[in-house]
Amino acid sequence: MYFQKKRVIAMLLAGGQGSRLKVLTEKTAKPAVPFGGKYRIIDFPLSNCVNSGIDTVGILTQYQPLELNEYIGNGQPWGLNKTHSCAQVLPPYERHDKKSGWYKGTANAIYQNLDFVDRFNPDYVVILSGDHIYKMDYAAMVAYHEQHNASCTIAVRNVPIEEASRFGILNTNPDNSIYEFEEKPAKPKSTNASMGIYCFNWSVLREALITDEEDSSSSNDFGKNIIPMLLNAGHKMMAYPFDGYWKDVGTIDSLWEANMELLGKDPAFQLRGDKNSTIYARNSALPSSYIDEDAKIVNAFVAEGSEVYGTVKHSVISIGCTIGKDALVEDSVVMPGVVIESGAIVRHAILGENSKVCKNAVVGGAFSAKDKKKISVTSKNAVVEANTVLKPGDML
Amino acid sequence: MNVMGIIFTNDATVGELTNKRTMASIPFGGRYRHVDFALSNLCYAGVRHVGIISRHNYQSLMNHIGDGEEWGLELEEGGLEFLTPFAQSAKHTYRGKLESLSTAMDFLTYGDEDELVVMIDSAVLSNIDLTKVLAAHKESGKDITVVTKAGICNGEKLIDLAIKLDDQGEVTDMLVDYAAAQDYLASMDIFVLNKKWLVESTKEMIARDKFHMDRDLVMGGWQRGKVSVNVYQFDGVAMYNESVEEYFDNSLSLIKRDVRENLFHGSHPVYTKVRDRVPTYYGEECDIENCLVADGCMLEGEAEDSVLFRQVTIAKGAEVEKCVIMNDSMIGEGAQLKYVILDKNVTVTPGAKLIGTKKNPIIVKRGETV
Repeated sequence: MYFQKKRVIAMLLAGGQGSRLKVLTEKTAKPAVPFGGKYRIIDFPLSNCVNSGIDTVGILTQYQPLELNEYIGNGQPWGLNKTHSCAQVLPPYERHDKKSGWYKGTANAIYQNLDFVDRFNPDYVVILSGDHIYKMDYAAMVAYHEQHNASCTIAVRNVPIEEASRFGILNTNPDNSIYEFEEKPAKPKSTNASMGIYCFNWSVLREALITDEEDSSSSNDFGKNIIPMLLNAGHKMMAYPFDGYWKDVGTIDSLWEANMELLGKDPAFQLRGDKNSTIYARNSALPSSYIDEDAKIVNAFVAEGSEVYGTVKHSVISIGCTIGKDALVEDSVVMPGVVIESGAIVRHAILGENSKVCKNAVVGGAFSAKDKKKISVTSKNAVVEANTVLKPGDML
Repeated sequence: MNVMGIIFTNDATVGELTNKRTMASIPFGGRYRHVDFALSNLCYAGVRHVGIISRHNYQSLMNHIGDGEEWGLELEEGGLEFLTPFAQSAKHTYRGKLESLSTAMDFLTYGDEDELVVMIDSAVLSNIDLTKVLAAHKESGKDITVVTKAGICNGEKLIDLAIKLDDQGEVTDMLVDYAAAQDYLASMDIFVLNKKWLVESTKEMIARDKFHMDRDLVMGGWQRGKVSVNVYQFDGVAMYNESVEEYFDNSLSLIKRDVRENLFHGSHPVYTKVRDRVPTYYGEECDIENCLVADGCMLEGEAEDSVLFRQVTIAKGAEVEKCVIMNDSMIGEGAQLKYVILDKNVTVTPGAKLIGTKKNPIIVKRGETV
């Protein structure tokens, strides 16, 4: 088989459990969690690849992959199913030398797929993760990397100093070259937080992965092992500043917030885009939405195939949902296929896929001043029985 | 059972909506084109070999259908073929379905494996389970099965082919291009035939300079006792979009739940070309009532009893009532629209007022500014 040489390919780490999303990732890998009405989290890095001209993407899966694999399919929704392009799902596998099995860490996941990358003989490999919401032109980052003649370039964003100890912090010289990396430092020296987006020269990364694998004490992680190793070896490493919208949606609170940030006339994150910034998603063949004469929708997204008979305020309603008569949905994220029956009240909630809130049930409530965010969550297929209450912050 | 599909894009006109497109590519129901219903019906019945016969204005249709991927027709064997007029018949294009079939003989006779042919038009929309029609045709042992709908003939509407049955379900009368009375069934322009029989009959008809499917083959054949006709009565929603008035009425009837359910979910989903639009955004002051709304819209104003296609913008203070607003149209602040069809990409300037009537909705042509 003939493989076209590629200048850049992307490897997308999509195997994480996302345990902080709790019931939402019980049966779904985090990258397959629905977002913004019709998307899944993985649509953002995948669409960014396509919009950046990267047509070869390896997707490393491990945790609960069924739904994710199904979703990616042959890559057709992102145009990655053409003659010299691919969206290749790469699950862990068994190998004769036992140097395989479950992916031990992010670096090990790439190590186990050296053969996949080698087929394309790329100059550069971009490492991405499947848990962030953002639009970014990776081609610009690769150009920056090339221009600075670096071995590795890491995208960074400025975070408030008081939050810096939650991130991997890159300490840089005035020319943006990195001299030190600190994982979650107690006393951060700078506010350059790593976004977990790396661009490597493949020859350098390849060697580093092999060396790292030989070290049995390594946790085979990019942040903990590979980056410090390359720094110590004196490789030129650059920080690539990014000041656009970027959100780690790894927690219930941040997932809810990111959805809310889509709303408004001038939203913090603009889903709409031109030809070069469209976010692509696998489409379900659903008809247009129906909005009843008694419906009231204010400052909200409603995706295709939904029927709205009640009131929706400041919320994201996904594809194929039903909001019954006299029901109220406020400040909530309603995932695909949810049914909210008549008279039900849903506030400050995330309702998981195909879950159901029966007649006159109450989910969540107003935030009190004391404990600001108490988001109620229903898991996939959960049913909130009629006339019952799911208290603020509770999960079902 | 191997089945071949033939879609006629139909050359009837629907006012200005067919100025630059065929009947088959008229936008309908917020996100579809007419032809999506025929294609989805064939797709659900497992038909993997489809020919599209088109006379003129087929550019927008070809653009919409592409390689047929959305309907599972992007195949190496069979798949989708566009059967456009041949240059050799420069004096005229096709005079009727039979003549167009005769120029598509290569397509029709390609491969022996197809046993039956479904012929389907694009002016009558339905969500029909064709596997039932195919089974009924085989069981009947007749030459042709015509799919019909009761309640369409009303003594006023011109019907392509109207059929009257007796109590035993036998055909007692047929009328072509006639305003048949209520007790006639209207053909939905869907036929099932045995392929070999169709090929032979078409050749013979053309040899006698007969080219009209309904008049010459079905009615003429039946009258001469040469052709046996089986009638299949469809009980779902059948939308005849053969005039602007019908198109407009049918569009607005989609806000009725049972109509919508039947046409969009009756037997199967309706597939269409994918457009990656964001979900529709409803602004702080919008008031949308009793509307069918596609994705990608920005709604800040008011709309009532209307169909809004993809990527429609309704600015603050604009009022839209009983309208069909097609893709990418923008309605400016304070504009007022009632009984209006806006074709694609129309700009209505702020404060403009367009008021049509139920029988004569105002049509604004594609890309115009009013």
